[in-house]
Amino acid sequence: MKIEVLFPEICNLYGELWNVSFLKQSCPDADVIETSLTDEPLFVSETPDLIYMGTMSENSQLLVIDKLKNYKQRIQDLIDKGTVFLMTGNALEIFGKRIEDKDGTVVECLGFFDTYALRDMRNRFNSLYIGDFKENEKDIRIVGFKSQFTHSYWEDENSAESLITTERGPGLNPDIKGEGIRKNNFMATYIIGPILALNPPFTKYLLEKCGVSNAELAFETAAMDAYNARVAEYSDPSTGFYY
Amino acid sequence: MGKLRFWIALAAAKLSIIALKITKHNGTNFPGVIALRICPQFIKYIGKPEKIIAVTGTNGKTTVCNLILDALAMEGIHPVNNRMGSNINTGIATSLIQSSGITGRCRHKLGVFEIDERSALRIFPYLVPDHMVVTNLSRDSIMRNGHPEYISGILTKYIPKSTKLIMNADDLICCSVAPENECVYFGIEKMDTDLDHCENLIQDFQICPKCHHKLEYEYVRYSHIGKAYCPECGFRAPDYDYAGCNADMDKMTIEVREKDGSAEYKLLNDSVFNIYNVVAAVTLFRQLGYSREKIQYFFSNMNIVGSRYDTREIDGRVVHLMLAKDKNAFAGSRVFEYISHTPGKKEVIIMNSCQGDAVHWSENICWLYDCDFEFLNSDDIINVVVCGPRVRDYRFRLLLAGVPEEKISFTEKELDTPEELLLPDNDNVYILYGTDSIKLGRDVADKIEKKIRDINEGGVK
Repeated sequence: MKIEVLFPEICNLYGELWNVSFLKQSCPDADVIETSLTDEPLFVSETPDLIYMGTMSENSQLLVIDKLKNYKQRIQDLIDKGTVFLMTGNALEIFGKRIEDKDGTVVECLGFFDTYALRDMRNRFNSLYIGDFKENEKDIRIVGFKSQFTHSYWEDENSAESLITTERGPGLNPDIKGEGIRKNNFMATYIIGPILALNPPFTKYLLEKCGVSNAELAFETAAMDAYNARVAEYSDPSTGFYY
Repeated sequence: MGKLRFWIALAAAKLSIIALKITKHNGTNFPGVIALRICPQFIKYIGKPEKIIAVTGTNGKTTVCNLILDALAMEGIHPVNNRMGSNINTGIATSLIQSSGITGRCRHKLGVFEIDERSALRIFPYLVPDHMVVTNLSRDSIMRNGHPEYISGILTKYIPKSTKLIMNADDLICCSVAPENECVYFGIEKMDTDLDHCENLIQDFQICPKCHHKLEYEYVRYSHIGKAYCPECGFRAPDYDYAGCNADMDKMTIEVREKDGSAEYKLLNDSVFNIYNVVAAVTLFRQLGYSREKIQYFFSNMNIVGSRYDTREIDGRVVHLMLAKDKNAFAGSRVFEYISHTPGKKEVIIMNSCQGDAVHWSENICWLYDCDFEFLNSDDIINVVVCGPRVRDYRFRLLLAGVPEEKISFTEKELDTPEELLLPDNDNVYILYGTDSIKLGRDVADKIEKKIRDINEGGVK
């Protein structure tokens, strides 16, 4: 399995590089390629089994957009042919149309999806999250955290292609239940942090998508113990959800 | 109207102080809360001291403020300060209310304030520091502080242009703050323990701010703290105006070299982050015009307050109480690194889950994955006891860090952790508590103390 991590030198907030470290600990044979801003991405010349990018600062978003706009057609081709992408936190916004800041700034993004983000740097939105990821007969509870200055909106909600159906917490924005973006195997979510370490059932699903079946995860018993406790806690109506 | 509101706010706040005294309540922030609720621009109108020193930064600001205040007390100077209150606008307002009379005039000529970096926008329009120390900027609470670039942006936007900054040149995030302000830089020259590359999970300044190529470091102390340069475009970290050098851990001294001389100062603690705090304070005092001899006198008579670090020697074993700020991976990593480098057998109790979050919601534990738990994977750390609301998350994270399962002890309740200790002879037990579990940490230490005494009196181990 070949995993390409895009721009880990700047897309690494909130412990998110552990998403890849956890995969590597679970699949020691996995080949992890870190692509920096000054490199040509591996996906230009090859098709990695997984392309991962994590949360970054607002200035870093500009650098990433500037870099990836050179490879728009290739990225579109990879999405269309089913390459697995996992984008976490505000990496999601880069694949939408634009980011509109409350200060009047508008950042043009890559435009693969009909979404736009509204940003207010004076207000940080914090919450817990629990939702359902469904695909065919699979139904996986997803738990995690949201902490962001933005929310994203579909230009036409009828065309929404969501990754997760929200049970508690906000969706792509607080008004909708659909969380994240899904098209073929492109998966993006506003959930931040080590989502794979926190969600072992989803990690197993992702590994299957990458061609690794029946994987035993690193410290799976302890991971599942923490996961089950979190699912129970977040499902408990008495647990406050907003910070 | 603004001024009328101010007078009403001041009167109400003064009355609240009397009410708090009569009812024997602490309420260290309460007068400021009342005042700002009535008059949001209260800090603008209340009398301020003639000279103001401020200290901000992610870590070390409380310690640096305490060093400044303790030193000034030796000179018989007792500035208005927020040592006993909070470091946000309500805490600043409270301290100004307490130091003013009913006319609102400040009774002190000098003010020393610790300022929460995110509160800059609510404080700096109205309070203009003459000198401001920025200790460092790093990742902190994810929910509150987002990321360090966000915080440096806030400081740049709101620090008054007339404020002279005292900045950590070894921290390029810190150095990016308010580039138009006059500033002096402090730092620490290469130390024996430095590396040539970062081994920490957090490294928030990896690319050149000018050409975006990867930076290299002449030396790395931890994370982005060190001496950086860009091999592509020649960008370099600033030179030191005040250079810490020749740190001697046996003598517990550090030399601080300036353009026209140098002097040795007593260190209060052998951790690198506390050495930075001393160099920062020395720099401030030199900027204020104090002689090197006077500053040497200050430091030879000071200690770090017991709520941050304390030890108890009990019948051949040592119990260390250390603050490891919850939800702050950067601070946690420094504590883990410090423990890993101390000699002897060690047991560590990790009890710095946020108790408040456990009541109101559930702690965001992403910070555990920014924090270098890997330091605890060390031969001489014989037992790591995890407990509290996030006990399962800690156990899993320790396993990922490579700590063997048999070295991890697990108990739900903090007060049960002493039962999980091995307590061999010459043991060092580190109790790591968060900002809202200081008392709980002491209670655990009391139980350990009792257990050790029972062992030595022939009781059950």
